[in-house]
Amino acid sequence: MSRPLARRRVLLGSAAGVLGVGALAACSDAPPAGPGPAPSAAPPPSSTTPTRVPYVGDQRGIALCAATSALAASLYSGAVVAAGDGRLGQVPAVVTAFLSGAGAQHTEHAAAWNQLLTAAGVPAVTGAPLTVENDRRAALGRAAAPTDLLSLAVDVEAMTGGTIAARAGEFTDPGAAALAATLAPVTAMHGATAAFLLGRPTGSAPGSAGAPLGLDALTA
Amino acid sequence: MSRPTGLGAQTSTGDVPALRTASSLVVLALSTYRSLQTLPAGGGDSGVPVVRELLNAAVVELGDARSVLATATSAAGGRPQTAPDPSYGPVVGTALPTVRTPADVVGLALTLEDVLAQTLVADAAGLSTPALRATAVQLASAAAARKANLLVVNTLLSSGRADLVVAPPDLASLPAGVGTVGFPDTRFPTSKASPVEEGN
Repeated sequence: MSRPLARRRVLLGSAAGVLGVGALAACSDAPPAGPGPAPSAAPPPSSTTPTRVPYVGDQRGIALCAATSALAASLYSGAVVAAGDGRLGQVPAVVTAFLSGAGAQHTEHAAAWNQLLTAAGVPAVTGAPLTVENDRRAALGRAAAPTDLLSLAVDVEAMTGGTIAARAGEFTDPGAAALAATLAPVTAMHGATAAFLLGRPTGSAPGSAGAPLGLDALTA
Repeated sequence: MSRPTGLGAQTSTGDVPALRTASSLVVLALSTYRSLQTLPAGGGDSGVPVVRELLNAAVVELGDARSVLATATSAAGGRPQTAPDPSYGPVVGTALPTVRTPADVVGLALTLEDVLAQTLVADAAGLSTPALRATAVQLASAAAARKANLLVVNTLLSSGRADLVVAPPDLASLPAGVGTVGFPDTRFPTSKASPVEEGN
């Protein structure tokens, strides 16, 4: 708050930064998100796409957040599929609802980050081009019980929220910083819900897979 | 862009009002949680163990948040705010004597966590250093996480299912809606954020 009114201007999206102002259209008080569409199958890894985009400056951090949010959404889509195919036994409806609802919000988060990129004239991130992608998908493949899906979610949310919170500090573009500030708490709410369902209402310590990602994790 | 090593590195004196307002909300929330711990429906015999656990954890987290914000305020050249928020303080003062049930406890805590998180979210992007911005987002995320738990518990208590507020929960018995009630907004709202100057 270097100026008393700066906060309101930033949140209304009127501060033109290095990326333009398109992103702050995404910073409204949105209505509750319903479950996303039922996925037809677990999305395949996207790391087979070798094309590299010359993101520069804040764009790399934004692309990292877009890819991380997209990976979270994709993992949850895969988890919903796994919950429905019987190999995890009877998955409680509350678990499936959590995965669908949180996944839908991550999809919207990825779209908001990508909107910043396209507004700046660079391509949106496609898939989840991250060094950790295959590892995280393998972790989903090892899930053997509904609670494994929730443990995976604790890690996914810690990774995503930590990545976004770290970038929130580093962004020089006010719109990107404001978007990060509105999205990181939502991932924290996902993580808290997953921990609550696991029986740890005061929080569940994530594993190593919950560590925030640095810019070097982005392969796009 | 490298991160400064300290919260106060290269801060602007304009950061102080936002930090003091956030501090005033943390001070109020902390004192309110402590009061709730002393009530029968909070930390007492008629309370719910999970709610008691949430109160205890919140006191620890908010104590840490108060210290972080005080350090940041001093580093930015300001005097740390130790008084409770003047806008919500009277609200709490009126509400506390009426708290009778665990649902009342959760409802009051929910109000304070929501305004704290919204205020931090609203102010984060305008802070002058990367470290301050990251810290504000981390504190907002912690308040949001507490809000999520309170939303879940509030839903179960208000629907007469206190029996389901246990750890670990019986997942098969929980209504499906409990899986999403803790995160009602795709982007964290800021419409209830306290004005920057409120806590000064």
